Amino acid sequence: MSHRRTGLTRLSRYLTGRWALVAGLVAVATVSAAAQSGGWLLVRAAIDDGIAKGDEHTLTVVVVLYLAVNAVGWACQLILIRGLAVIGQGIVLGLRRDLFDHLTSLSLRYFSEQRAGWIIARVTSDVDAISDALSQGLPTLVSNVVLLPTTVIVLFIVDWRLGLVAMVILPPALVLSRWFQRKSAVAQLDVRNRIAAVTAQVAESVAGMAIVQAFNRERQFQAQFDELNRENRASNVYAQQLFSVFFPSIELLGAISTCAVLVVGSRFLSEGTLTIGTLITAIYLLQLVFQPLQELSDVYGQLQSAAAAMVKITSVLDAEPDIGDRPGAVPMPPISGTVDLDAVSFAYGETDVLHEVSIHVPPGGCIALVGQTGGGKSTLAKLIARFYDPRTGSVSVDGTDLRGVRLGSYRRQLGVVLQDPFLFSGTIADNLRFARPEASDHDVRETAAAIGLDRLVARLHGGLDHEVREGGSGLSAGERQLISIARALLADPRILILDEATSNIDRPTEVLIERALDRLLRGRSSVIIAHRLATVRRADEVLVVERGRIVQRGAASDLLAVDGPFRRLAGSRDLPGRAVREAGRRPPPAVPARPCP
Amino acid sequence: MTNPFDPDDYPLRPTVRRLSHLWWGERRLVVLGLVCALAYTTLTLTVSIVLQRAIDNAIVPNDVGKLWPYVLAILGLALARFWINFTRRYATARIGVRLEARLREMLYEGYLGFPRAFYDLHPTGQVVSRATNDLFPIRYFIGWGVVQGFQSAMMIIGGVIVLALVNPRLTLYSAVATPLIGFVAWRFAHLVMPISRRVQAAKGDVTEAADEAVVGIEMVQAFGREDDVRERFGAKAASVRNIVVQQAGVEAKHLPALFYLPTLSIAAVVFFGGRDVIDGNLTIGQFVLFNTILLQLTWPLEALGWILNLAQRALASAGRTFAWLELVQRLPEPENPRPLPAGPLSVAFERVQFAYPGEEEVLTGVDLALSPGEIVAVCGGTGAGKSTLLNLLPRFYDPTAGRVLLGGVDLRDVPLAEVRANVAVITQRPILFSITLRENLIAGRPDAPWDEVEAMCEAAGVADFVPDLPTGYDTLIGERGVNLSGGQRQRVALARALIAGTRVIVLDDPLSAVDTHTEHDLVGRLRPVLEGRTVIVAAQRLSTLALADRAAVLDDGRVVEDGRPADLLEQRAVFAGLFGDEIGVA
Repeated sequence: MSHRRTGLTRLSRYLTGRWALVAGLVAVATVSAAAQSGGWLLVRAAIDDGIAKGDEHTLTVVVVLYLAVNAVGWACQLILIRGLAVIGQGIVLGLRRDLFDHLTSLSLRYFSEQRAGWIIARVTSDVDAISDALSQGLPTLVSNVVLLPTTVIVLFIVDWRLGLVAMVILPPALVLSRWFQRKSAVAQLDVRNRIAAVTAQVAESVAGMAIVQAFNRERQFQAQFDELNRENRASNVYAQQLFSVFFPSIELLGAISTCAVLVVGSRFLSEGTLTIGTLITAIYLLQLVFQPLQELSDVYGQLQSAAAAMVKITSVLDAEPDIGDRPGAVPMPPISGTVDLDAVSFAYGETDVLHEVSIHVPPGGCIALVGQTGGGKSTLAKLIARFYDPRTGSVSVDGTDLRGVRLGSYRRQLGVVLQDPFLFSGTIADNLRFARPEASDHDVRETAAAIGLDRLVARLHGGLDHEVREGGSGLSAGERQLISIARALLADPRILILDEATSNIDRPTEVLIERALDRLLRGRSSVIIAHRLATVRRADEVLVVERGRIVQRGAASDLLAVDGPFRRLAGSRDLPGRAVREAGRRPPPAVPARPCP
Repeated sequence: MTNPFDPDDYPLRPTVRRLSHLWWGERRLVVLGLVCALAYTTLTLTVSIVLQRAIDNAIVPNDVGKLWPYVLAILGLALARFWINFTRRYATARIGVRLEARLREMLYEGYLGFPRAFYDLHPTGQVVSRATNDLFPIRYFIGWGVVQGFQSAMMIIGGVIVLALVNPRLTLYSAVATPLIGFVAWRFAHLVMPISRRVQAAKGDVTEAADEAVVGIEMVQAFGREDDVRERFGAKAASVRNIVVQQAGVEAKHLPALFYLPTLSIAAVVFFGGRDVIDGNLTIGQFVLFNTILLQLTWPLEALGWILNLAQRALASAGRTFAWLELVQRLPEPENPRPLPAGPLSVAFERVQFAYPGEEEVLTGVDLALSPGEIVAVCGGTGAGKSTLLNLLPRFYDPTAGRVLLGGVDLRDVPLAEVRANVAVITQRPILFSITLRENLIAGRPDAPWDEVEAMCEAAGVADFVPDLPTGYDTLIGERGVNLSGGQRQRVALARALIAGTRVIVLDDPLSAVDTHTEHDLVGRLRPVLEGRTVIVAAQRLSTLALADRAAVLDDGRVVEDGRPADLLEQRAVFAGLFGDEIGVA
C-alpha cells in the first residue's frame, strides 16, 4: 500500500506554482460543505423560531438566508468543479509530457526489450486512468471528504446527544463501505480482464478472418469466443450483485438511523431538552452522512486503477537513459566525414556480438557490410549512429570520440535509411521534410523530382500531398524505401547509414531506387548494409562480417577474384540473376544444391 | 442503393421492435424487475407517510408510548424495501448483462460468416468496438435505464399524488423547480455527449502520436528529431487537456444546478408550508412529509434526463448492430450443391471480371487454366490484380462476371465449406494466432499425424528455427508470447497450408519477407512436397518464380503472356520488362 502511495504522491510535483490555487479550492470545498449541511441549521431555525413561535417575519428572513446560503454553495461547487479540472488536467498534461520526453530519450535497447504495445499503453491508457480519477474522482473525493466531517460536526452543534446517535450508526456504515470497496475492486478488476479477453479474441479473429474462413475454423473460434463471452457475463453478473447489495444496504442503514433519532429524540423532546426543529433537522442531516459514503465508494475503484497505472508509469520513468549527453559534452562541429571504429567490442547482454572490430572510412568514402543475418552488420551500423556505446574500444568521427559530443548535434548531421522504412502519418511531403522541417516546398519538389519519386507518386491521389496512412500501408515496400531515400537526401547529411531493402520490390521501382542511391551517396561518407551485388560494387571497400568479426575486406572485384567468404556469399546471394538463368535453362527448376553455411 | 457490405443504420421502429423482442426474451426477469420497481415506489412513499404519522400522532403530542408501532413499521418497511430494491437492481442488471452477451454472440457469429468485401470496407478497430464498447449503452439502457425510468415515473406520479392529497396548493408551489431539474439534466446529457466524443477523438490522436514515435523511434533518434516529436505530442496532449477542461466547464454549469435546484422547493415548502403550519392548515408531520418526498424526487428527476440520453445512444448503437446482422450480404450457398471430383483438381478462370464495390474493374477478363498438379506463377506490376485473382479461388469473393472452376465445377455450385476444405491459402501478410506454434501449424487440420507435420515443417523451413524457440513447438506465438520475424511467420503460414493437405494451394507472394538466400534454399525443398497438388503462386522475384512450371503475366486486369519463364524472357515483352534486366545486374 505504501508503495502505491509513493506512486501517486509523485504527482504532487506537478502542483508546483499552483499551491495557492489548491489551498483556495480546499477553502471553497469547506465553504461548500458548510453551506450544504449548514442550510439545515437554518431549516431548524425556521421551524423553532418561525413556525413554532408563529413568527412569520422571522420565517421570511430565515428562508431568504437559506436561499442565500444555498446560492453560495452553488457558486462554490461551480468554482470547485472548474478549478479541480484545471489542476487535475495540469497534472495529467505534465505527467504525459514528462513520460513521453523521457521515453524518447531512452536508448534503442529499451525499445527492443519492451513490446511497442506495452510502452504505448503507459502513455495512453495508464495516463487516461489517472486522468479519469482526477477529473471525475477528484471533485467527488474533495467535496465528500470535506462533507462527511462537516455534517457530523453540524450534527453535534445541533445536539450533541443526537450526534452520538449518529456515531453509533457510522461504524457499521464505514465497515460496510470498506467491505464493498474491497469486494468491488476485485470484481471490477476481474470484469476489466474478462472484457479485455473478449476484445482480444474478437480483434484477433477479425484481423485474421481470411485465415479463419479459409481453413474452415469458424466453429472452433465461435466455441472459444462463447467460452470467454460466458465468463465475461458471469463476472459482470457478480459485480452487479455487489452493487445491488451495497446501495440498498446504505438505504436501510439510513432508515435505521431515522428510527434511532426518532426514538431517542422523542424522549429528549418529552423531557423538554430538545426542540421539534432540532429533531427534524437531525433526521435530514443523518441522511447527508450516508451520501458521501455511497459516492466515495464509487470513486474508490477509480483511485485503485489510477494507483495501479501509476506503478506501471513509474517503472518507465525510473528507466535510465543509457545513451545521453555526458557532462562536458561539446557540440559536434561540421563533419568532414572520417569515421573510425577502433577495436570495438559490444554486447547486448552477456556475450559479445562484436569482437574488436576496426573500420576506417575516409571522408566521402563508401564501405559495404555484407554477411549472413545475425553476423553483426546492423549492430556495427547502430554503433556508428551511436544508438549504443561500445563496451570496449571507441567510435570516433573526424577524430572525436562520439561519447564526448552532444548527441543531437551529431545526429543532425547523420542520415539513416532503414530496410523497412517507417513513415509517419501526414503527407508524403511531410515525410520528406521529417529530417529538415524548414525545407521549402521548392526544395521538397526538387528532391522528389531528382530521384523520380514525383512520377511514382503521381498515381496516388494528391501526389506529394497524398496522406500516408498508419505506418505507410497502401504504399509498396519499394515506394516507402524511395520516400525514405528522398528524406535522407533532403536532410543532406554528412554521414549516411543505409540498410538495403531485401523484401519484394518490383523491378521498375528497383531501378528507380538504384538511381536514387547513386544520387544519395555522392559526396558523403557512407556505410551500407548491402544485400545485392550491384550495391556492393559501388563501395570502395567491402567488409565481410561473420560472427562479430570482419573475416575479409577489400574492393569487390578483388574479393571476387579470390576463393573466400565473399565469393561464396556472392555465389548464393547474387540471387536474381542466377535464379533466372537456372529457371530459364532447365525448367521446371531443378532443386538447387544447398548453398554454403 | 446502399452498399450491401456497408448498410445504412436500421430505422428506429424496427430497431425498437427487435430490441423489445430480445428484451422480452428475458420476460421473467423483466416482470420481476417491474413488479419490484412498483413495490419499491409504494414502500418508499409509505415510509414517508408513516414518518409523518409518527411525528403528528406520537412526537408532537409527546406520547412516547405511541411511537413504537410507528418505528417498528418503518423498520419493517425499510427491511422489505431493502430486499425489493436488491431484487430489482440485480434482476434488471442481469437482463442487461445477458442481452449484451447475446448481442455480442450474434455479432461474432455474423463476423465469422461475413465475406471479405465487408472487411475491406471496415477497419478492424471499428468491427471490434461494435462488438465491445458500442454494446455498453445497450447494456446500461436495458439493464438499468428501462426499469429505472419506469420506477422514476412511478415515483414522481406517486409522490405528486400523495402531496396533492395532503395540500394541493403547497404541492404546486414546491413543484416550481421540478421541471427545471428535468430540463437541466436533459440539457447536460445533451451537451456533454458531443464533448466526450471529442475527448475520445483527441485521446485517439495522442495514441496515434505515441504509437508513431515508439514504433518509429529509430528514425526519430537517427535524425535527432526528438524535440519535434515531443512538441507534436505535447500539442496533442494539450488539446486533450483543453477539451477536458471545457467539459468540466459544462459540468460546472449544470451539475451544481442539479444539486441545488431542489433547495428552491425546500425553501418554498419552508416558507409557504411554514405559514400554513402557523395558520393551522398544515401539521408539522405533513411539513416534514413534504420535505422528505421532495428530496426523494430529486434523483428520479435527474435520472429521467440521463435515461433519455442513454436511450438515444442505445438505440443508435442497436440500429447499427441490427443493420450489420440483417443487411450485410453473405456469399450465397448453392441450392443444389455439387460435389468436387476425386483426385488432383484442375483450376480454371473463364473470362473472369472483378471490381470491388464502387470501384473500377481490376480484372477485365482473365482466362487461365491450370491442369491438375500444375504449378503456375502469376506475375505483374503493382496493382496488376494478382492478389485479387488469387482471392477468387478460395471464394473470398465471387467474380462480377465469368466463372471460376475447381475440378470443372463452378465454385458457386459447391458448398463453401467444401471449397475451403480443398483450397489452402497463404495470404500476403502472414496471419498467425496467439496460440502455440503447434496449434498454429495444425489449424487447417487438427488431426494431422505428427510425422507429417514435422515433414512439412522441414520443407517450409520452420524446422530450421524451432530449436531456437524457448519451448520448441509448444512456444506461445504473438503478443503474449514470442514475436516471430516476418520471414519466420511466413514460413509457419506456409507449413500450415501444406499440413492442411488440400489438393489446391494458393500462395500470395509467400516468401517476400524471407531473405533471398533462404528463399533459394526453400524453393528447392518445396518442390517435392507440392507434387500432385495444383498450386497458383503470385511472385515478384525470379527466385520465387523458380517454384513454378509456368508463368502467367497479368497486365491491366488480363493475362497478356503465358508460358515457361525461359520462353517468356526470350519474347522480350512484358515479362522480360518485369524481370529481364535482373540478369544484367550480376
